[in-house]
Amino acid sequence: MLTITSLSKRHANAVQAVFSGLSFSVQAGEVVALVGESGVGKSTLLNCIAGLEPADEGSILVGRQAQDIVRLGEAARAALRASSIGFVFQAFHVLPTLSVAQNIAVPLLLAGVAAGEHAARIEALLARVGLAGFGPRWPASLSGGELQRVAIARALVHRPALILADEPTGNLDPRTADEILALLLERVREQHAAALIVTHSQHVAQCCDRVLTLTPEGLQ
Amino acid sequence: MIRLAWWLVRAQFTTRRMATALSMLAIALGVALGYAIHLINAAALADFSQAMKSVQGEPDAVIAPRDSAGQVPLALINEIARDADVAIIAPVIETRVRIDNATMAVKLIGLDVFSAAAVTPKLLPRQSDRVAGGSVFEDGVYASPTLLARFKLAPGDAVTLVRGDTHWRTRIAGDLPAARPDDLLLVADIAWVQARFGPAGGVSEGRVRLASGVRVGNWLGAWAGRLPAGLALRAAEDDSARVSNVSRAYRVNLNVLALVALLTGAFLVFATQLTAVAQRSTQFALLGVLGLSPRLRLWQVLLEGLAIGVPGAGLGLVLGYVMSLAFTQVIGGDLGGGYFSGSAPAILPRPAPALGFFALGCAASLTGALYPAWLNRIQPLAQALKTGFAQSPPSGGAAPRRRRWLKGAAMALVALAAIGLTRLPALFDLPLAGYAAIALVLVLGIGAAPPVTQIVFGALARLRLPAPLRIAVQNIVQAPLMAQVAASGLIVSFALTVSMVTMVSSFRTAVDQWLDVVLPAPMYVRSKGVPLPRELLGALAQPAAPFEKVERSAAVSLSLDPQRPAVALLVRELDRAEAAARLPFTGAVLAAPADRLVVWISEPMQQLYRLAPGQSLRLPLLGREVEAFIGGTWRDYARQFGAVVIGAADYVALGGRFEPTDLALWPRPGEEAAARTWLAKFTADYGLEMAESGEIRKLSLSIFDKSFAVTYALEAAAMLIGLFGLAVTLAAGVWLRARELATLSALGFDRAMLTRAVMFEGAMIAGIGLVIGLACGVAVGAILTHVVNPQAFHWRMKLEIPWLQVLPGAALSLLAGIFASRFAARQATRLPVAQVLANAQ
Amino acid sequence: MRRRSFLLSALLLGALRGAAAGDGGVRYASVERRTRLAFPRDHGAHPAFRTEWWYVTGALDLPRPDMGFQLTFFRTRPGRAEDLDSPIAARQILFAHAAITRPGAGLLHAERAARANLGAGFSTADCDVHIGAWQIRRHDEGQGGESIRISMQDASFAFDLVLKPAQPLMLQGDQGYSRKGPRPELASHYVSWPQLQVEGAVALDGKREKAAGRAWFDHEWSSEVLGPDSVGWDWVGINLDDGGALMAFRIRDARGASVYAHAALRDRGGRTRQFDAGEVQFTPIRTWTSPRNGAHYPVELEIRFGPHTVQTSPVLDDQELSTHRPALINYWEGLVKVSGTLSGRGYLELTGYAGALKL
Repeated sequence: MLTITSLSKRHANAVQAVFSGLSFSVQAGEVVALVGESGVGKSTLLNCIAGLEPADEGSILVGRQAQDIVRLGEAARAALRASSIGFVFQAFHVLPTLSVAQNIAVPLLLAGVAAGEHAARIEALLARVGLAGFGPRWPASLSGGELQRVAIARALVHRPALILADEPTGNLDPRTADEILALLLERVREQHAAALIVTHSQHVAQCCDRVLTLTPEGLQ
Repeated sequence: MIRLAWWLVRAQFTTRRMATALSMLAIALGVALGYAIHLINAAALADFSQAMKSVQGEPDAVIAPRDSAGQVPLALINEIARDADVAIIAPVIETRVRIDNATMAVKLIGLDVFSAAAVTPKLLPRQSDRVAGGSVFEDGVYASPTLLARFKLAPGDAVTLVRGDTHWRTRIAGDLPAARPDDLLLVADIAWVQARFGPAGGVSEGRVRLASGVRVGNWLGAWAGRLPAGLALRAAEDDSARVSNVSRAYRVNLNVLALVALLTGAFLVFATQLTAVAQRSTQFALLGVLGLSPRLRLWQVLLEGLAIGVPGAGLGLVLGYVMSLAFTQVIGGDLGGGYFSGSAPAILPRPAPALGFFALGCAASLTGALYPAWLNRIQPLAQALKTGFAQSPPSGGAAPRRRRWLKGAAMALVALAAIGLTRLPALFDLPLAGYAAIALVLVLGIGAAPPVTQIVFGALARLRLPAPLRIAVQNIVQAPLMAQVAASGLIVSFALTVSMVTMVSSFRTAVDQWLDVVLPAPMYVRSKGVPLPRELLGALAQPAAPFEKVERSAAVSLSLDPQRPAVALLVRELDRAEAAARLPFTGAVLAAPADRLVVWISEPMQQLYRLAPGQSLRLPLLGREVEAFIGGTWRDYARQFGAVVIGAADYVALGGRFEPTDLALWPRPGEEAAARTWLAKFTADYGLEMAESGEIRKLSLSIFDKSFAVTYALEAAAMLIGLFGLAVTLAAGVWLRARELATLSALGFDRAMLTRAVMFEGAMIAGIGLVIGLACGVAVGAILTHVVNPQAFHWRMKLEIPWLQVLPGAALSLLAGIFASRFAARQATRLPVAQVLANAQ
Repeated sequence: MRRRSFLLSALLLGALRGAAAGDGGVRYASVERRTRLAFPRDHGAHPAFRTEWWYVTGALDLPRPDMGFQLTFFRTRPGRAEDLDSPIAARQILFAHAAITRPGAGLLHAERAARANLGAGFSTADCDVHIGAWQIRRHDEGQGGESIRISMQDASFAFDLVLKPAQPLMLQGDQGYSRKGPRPELASHYVSWPQLQVEGAVALDGKREKAAGRAWFDHEWSSEVLGPDSVGWDWVGINLDDGGALMAFRIRDARGASVYAHAALRDRGGRTRQFDAGEVQFTPIRTWTSPRNGAHYPVELEIRFGPHTVQTSPVLDDQELSTHRPALINYWEGLVKVSGTLSGRGYLELTGYAGALKL
């Protein structure tokens, strides 16, 4: 579901590469943790995989069709994200002006899923993340944990092949963090998606199938 | 996808109600002004040409003397009638008479019922049943219903029609059933009008209907060579062109103002959408990450612009319609321009122009959304998601210094272009280059905003300021976009206002000074186009008359060009030697060769007909062409279409009849009251108008002020829009910094300090906007005064900047700006600090 | 007698009525039996009389057979503005009427009106009358020859014809003194010129075609013709096929009875016989009903005079004319063929059938 080969990235005007020659892959149903010190380039790698930042060399094959996101144009990258990638962020990023159901419907709209299916899928997923009946509510009335549950539902609703999560529990208290992590892993495995989770937390890393550590020298 | 777009539009509207409503209102205002001007003018023109048609009928061609004192000889009418290409020629005699010495003179049309039936059916008289045994060929006049009502007359009543010393004692024999409600008309048989008031052996004009299949142009060409010099044959189509030309420049001027209002509306959409994009940068970034394509991110903002434009433009149409109704009722159909008189014309909206103005409103709003949309499209997603709005696109290769240099060069070029444009002559009789120059000045002003903000705030940043103020200054230096947007809104609107005030004030001062020169006498008597009675003129010549000096004058109109309105020929009692002292000359007064006729032309005349003192001018006078020497050009703000002054003695020597219609009177010192009483007898008996120079002056200035009513309305609208824009952008700028303000709060700044900082920032931005706006306004005012006015209306004047109005206006705007920023700051600082810090995203 | 006077508009009727009552102060010249006519002066206008008309009717064989045409000028002196000091005072008013009958295709007609000296005029020395470009004018052709040129043009038709006399003038009644009623003062001066050869051009819908045929010219002036009991008249002017000429009329009262009648027949040898009221009889044979106003016109008439009996048959039933300016007056006037003891073609006029005529 994600195959990275000889990936290199250098910031504009920088002498030193952020990383170079990275190669790894994540299989369907596999949850991989990406750890490393701050500033080592974890987020940059994640952005490259999502097509938000261009890579300089190498290839990133994403999704069931194994499209190389490095070689795609801007619109095609957006389309690939819409169809094949789900995102979970540390800051939740739930749109405050849309209701919970509308937030979750966004990927369905972007992926072009038939409108008739939306309500049922959203309802089912809300139940699976423990938010049954939250559909009409507004994000402002939700707690942090609830917001992240919404985000997880949004990340999964269009059944992406790949889930990218950036510190999904970073803004939550430990108890809620455990619940959310368990929920995320459970749902990812249930949908047989691949997941790459960037984290500083040993605990989170331990819960994953595999741990990749990014250092200035490369992957370990 | 449409659903998502709609959700976002709706969310945007509900969360930013005020800004959205204001933007809509601004677009609506621009559309409304433009549309109202269009509606009123279309109605007034239609009304005017209909009025003309009802009186003149719908002939193919008209034969008329080029000199209003002239006539068309009967022999020529009869000769044209026998032309096989002519279906019919309708001769008419038009004159003005007073009814029983009423002050107001009315039009008396002498017509021939046989030909009138075919050419001017609306003027056909109807014999009243109450008038026994009469017929149209007998002694009697027929009055329009409005005239009957106005003068409280009924068929059968005896009336005396007075023109100068000629009296016609007759009776109202019936009415004019097809006359329009505005027509104040008397109609009688042409022979009776001729026998009573002349012209002997001729008529005023002949209206020709051509046989079917005859081309007007060919026929005119065939006759052109056969006419005596004093007559002109013109296609009737020229008349409607002339009617339209009468108010064209004034109309275009108003439409340009409406366009400016619309542009200001577009600017407000720009400000709203820009801040909307900035505020929602993380949201849009998220949507981009989730897979919303860049093109759709662009379209979303455009769509939101359109969502403002469509209801705004729709509202504008409704408002415009209402405004046009109100304006025509209050000011009349001439928009205060004084071109058409009469009652309020009927407003008739048609679909095509309405759609046009609707589209214009939408286009303006789309234009405003264009840059924000582009900015939204190029936002770097990952960065925007993390740190929010990026103000400028990722910088290209050029070094900042070189870029600054390039920018400076571009602005210098624009300035040069603007100066160049002001040197160009009018195009199609319109000051198009002048308008373009105005646009460039505004571009220059907006372009100057970023460097000036940077320089001023850069300098402020180096000062030792209290911490909150320094933070505010620093903020603008680092992220100047919002400040620049807010400032440019003020620049445009304040420039517009200053320029208008400057132009109007220059004009008013010039008119004021001009009135001093053209109203030298303490008293004036006039008879509104009807010759003054001989009895009065005779009495004035007696030594018993309490005046030390009397100057008599008369006016006729000359048609120099069938496409243009007629030129006034003013016959005045002045010597060629003393002309310099009696007319407000703009330049040197040339001494004419003793054997040549000398005339003095007005400034509009000089420009319209491209004449110059020293040249000779051929005037169609008294049935022939008379060659005259142009002795000089004098200033005239009263007759936009040109005037020529000729000495009364010269006019009489040429064979003209000097029938004075106006008197300037200098009472003997100390006998002013006696003079008034002396005159009162005549003014009462002959329905004359007497006024003292002070009254005339007051009346003239009040007419002047009325004619600029629309301009004042536009100014106010522009200024309001500019202030709205400032408020919206300031509020958005502050909102964007809510997290920063909250952090400062947490660090121990209290609310009042923060509010002060934001207010300081607002004041600085408003100050910069106002200063640049003032500079631009003076420049635009100078262009309006020195380029647009002379080219559009053919009058020149000195530039007068009304500091007493401009500076308080600036101070008021500054206060409004500070108030707006205070409001914005309070909105931002009202949120609980913790919530902002936690939920900034 | 007759004709065209009813072309007067309602606007003018007031003027005429007033004058007839004598309060206008105008004294019209009166028709005197002893007046001897002289030509060409008496071809010209007689402005001292109240009414006068010049009248040309004819039948064309070119461009199409049995095509009828007429051009009439009518002069009236309403007796108003007589003392007004203006060259364009409405002392003399002219009306003109033109029509073309196209068998099988209907009637075209047009009219003009103007006051003398303002788009119209007449000569008192010879036949020369015009309104705008419409005219009837006599020309001397040298060597004693003469002709009459008539021309008119309107949106749908125009003609320009030269009429050449083949016979001398026919002075009606007693040397041109023609009685119109039982009282001797009801009379006119009446001159006819039958059997005129027509050449020229006719334009229909802009297409100009050569025209040829025969015409009848009438010139009549008077100050008083109709008595108070009369409602209308029937009149014929026929160019007989053998070169003779027939003129007959009767004046009807409200019951349809003849108030007065007269006929004149000139044979091809130039001998004229007059038939007085007792010898002339008009009998309707067939009426045609106007679809516009329901009036019944006896378009087929039997006319007996002396030993002769002739019947009229129209080349087109609908030759009804309406003048619109400004009051609507309907009458029938058109080309008919005549058969019986005499045969020929000419014009029949039937007035007073669609409402009584008021003069």
